[in-house]
Amino acid sequence: MKMMGIIFASDNEARLNELTIHRTTASLPFGARYRMIDFMLSNLVNSGVTRIGIITRSNYNSLMDHIRMGRDWDLNRKNSGIAVFPPFAVNTSKEVYRGKIEALYSILDYIRTGNEDYVFVCNSNVAINMDIEDMYDFHIATGADITVLTRKQATNSSKRIVVGAKEGTRVKEFLINEGFGSGKTETVSLNAYILHKDVLCGLIETAYARGQMEFETDILQKKTKQLNIQMYNFNGYAGMINDIKSYFNESMRLLDTGIRQELFYKYGKIYTKVKDSSPTIYSNDAKVVNSLIADGCEVNGTVENSILFRGVKVEKGAVIKNSIVMERGQVQENSQLCYAITDKNVIIRPNRVISGFETYPVVVVKDKTV
Amino acid sequence: MLSNKKQCVAMLLAGGQGTRLGVLTRDVAKPAVPFGGKYRIIDFPLSNCINSGIDTIGVLTQYQPFELNQYIGNGQPWDLDRMSGGVFVLPPYMKGKSGEWYKGTANAIYQNINFIDIYNPEYVLVLSGDHIYKMDYSKMLKAHIDSNADSTIAVIDVPLDEASRFGIMTCDKKGNIVKFTEKPAEPDSTKASMGIYIFTWKTFKEYLIADEADNTSKNDFGKNIIPMMLKDGRKLIAYEFDGYWKDVGTIYSLWAANMDLLDENSGINLADRTWRVYARNSAEPPHYIGVGATVQNAIVSEGSIIYGDVKMSVIFQRADIGKCIIENSVIMPGAKVGDGAVIKYSIIGQNAVIGAGAQIGSDQSNRVGEAKKIAVVGPNAKVKENEIVPDTAMIEAE
Repeated sequence: MKMMGIIFASDNEARLNELTIHRTTASLPFGARYRMIDFMLSNLVNSGVTRIGIITRSNYNSLMDHIRMGRDWDLNRKNSGIAVFPPFAVNTSKEVYRGKIEALYSILDYIRTGNEDYVFVCNSNVAINMDIEDMYDFHIATGADITVLTRKQATNSSKRIVVGAKEGTRVKEFLINEGFGSGKTETVSLNAYILHKDVLCGLIETAYARGQMEFETDILQKKTKQLNIQMYNFNGYAGMINDIKSYFNESMRLLDTGIRQELFYKYGKIYTKVKDSSPTIYSNDAKVVNSLIADGCEVNGTVENSILFRGVKVEKGAVIKNSIVMERGQVQENSQLCYAITDKNVIIRPNRVISGFETYPVVVVKDKTV
Repeated sequence: MLSNKKQCVAMLLAGGQGTRLGVLTRDVAKPAVPFGGKYRIIDFPLSNCINSGIDTIGVLTQYQPFELNQYIGNGQPWDLDRMSGGVFVLPPYMKGKSGEWYKGTANAIYQNINFIDIYNPEYVLVLSGDHIYKMDYSKMLKAHIDSNADSTIAVIDVPLDEASRFGIMTCDKKGNIVKFTEKPAEPDSTKASMGIYIFTWKTFKEYLIADEADNTSKNDFGKNIIPMMLKDGRKLIAYEFDGYWKDVGTIYSLWAANMDLLDENSGINLADRTWRVYARNSAEPPHYIGVGATVQNAIVSEGSIIYGDVKMSVIFQRADIGKCIIENSVIMPGAKVGDGAVIKYSIIGQNAVIGAGAQIGSDQSNRVGEAKKIAVVGPNAKVKENEIVPDTAMIEAE
């Protein structure tokens, strides 16, 4: 398999509101020590793909800081390795790219360089541990022009692409659905594709020449009949993050050991930036159950059904329930968090009570003190 | 300009067999023994070096080097993957028609004179691979340079009744060492050698060559090099260190040093970001504490899953802890403990498996210091269901 990877660092940020003010979706913290991009990056590396381009749109500082030279994914190579494309203007109006097609058009030279025949193109909003080689084998076996990664799931996220099949795995239609899902099981696109490099370049050039910008609507939807588009159905865990609600739900699903085993080990490990934190220390006053806790924390209070990222301090008397506390957060004496998501470096002063609701968790923005 | 010249090169003596650690060093060199939840013993001297600005380190090893070699790799986790310098594992090798094992600490350095000469250093720092401490070697080096000494030896004050277990330095009022006695029966000083030496390379090299020529020599720093330098009237000074320092060469001391991490007054704080200890990262997910678990006064590292009651214990990466009781114990990476097991005052080695209902060790809270008996289950060893492992036992893998 000679394949390269292209990851879009930004997609539907608008729906993640407070959590993506300071960052792209790719650098959204997830699973107590990871960023969303770690999953697809690790899948690519574990499947032997070592030339990976990351296309950013805005707020990419935190992403650059996370990726650095790609060493933590074993991607600091002499040949291949990671290339991060900052948002540069390709069009005459000097604007940042207007859609996936324009973004891909702007890096056609990068795509064409190198001896890989196939391209894996994906977003960074799916937490998944998959074998890309298996999807590639499927792509070859079905003689597809485009293979779409899909998963059968109950649709409850706000924006999704539902894929319909004719017979077998050939895609008949792409429906882009807005609004809350019906909850019934549908085949949903995980926004990842395999194409032959020549097919991709040809489609992009043709579409761009016609002023088309969106890969999903201008290529997938419009060319469903002409092209052999196949769906590769993934049966394991895949957490698609589209909004705060799905972010919270998918985070909490990690408290299930079966799901963690799948997401963190199944086809290889998930790598992330190494921070050299010391192990977490629990004091005599710690009461912790059903929680996922990263290194570098100090726990002196109560933590239930929650996720603590690296370097979190929980002071005496503090109670954290059904919440997510991101890196270096502090929950000081006798404060309470319930159904809350506190972003990086948030400090909750003593005796504060912050409470959301299961379907509507409260978000405290990065660097704020409550 | 980038050149090979270094002011100071560190030589880490990691060649000891570590027999006192029993099954824990059966298959690995002592410096590769896990410590403190996510570290290996060697992480401490390596991190001290890089934090002190010393970026060229030779690791002298000859027993079970594979795991240590693999662990050190290119030195990247310690920021020691350098264009010039870095970390090198130096096993004994054939030179012309001759070649031999490292006969002693001095001989190990002697056999690597050529390595040191590549960097043409003014000073050589000699370290050992079995101590847990955080120390700024650059301060010691400055003291060495300022006093124009031939050798500077780091010392730590020990209680008089324990002094006979150490190499003891007797100094004059100016801090010059006048006498060195290895494990004196009647110590006249409480300044114990920490096994950390700085030598001025030009002089040191002469002594190494002279020592090698002497067939009666044991080729040891404490027994030969230091006494010879003292006899010749060389200037040797003691550099006093007052931080945390612990030899972890025995089962008890290894256990006790792990327990010190749980005591905020012990003087060792791994969470201190100003003097970080680096380790090779094993890319594990965060640890999970399950429903029904109690974790108090404990250190827990990545990838472990805990359903039991854990108190006063250090749990390493990937440990799989069922509904059991673990107290005052050290559970090394990948160890698996079944439901209903009771583990007290024990060290459970890497990837050991403790069957359900097994009992390991016993309460030693009434015993003081080294009188405590620590049960040891070696790496990869298996303890059967409901088996009782007494406190004096050392279980070995088949």
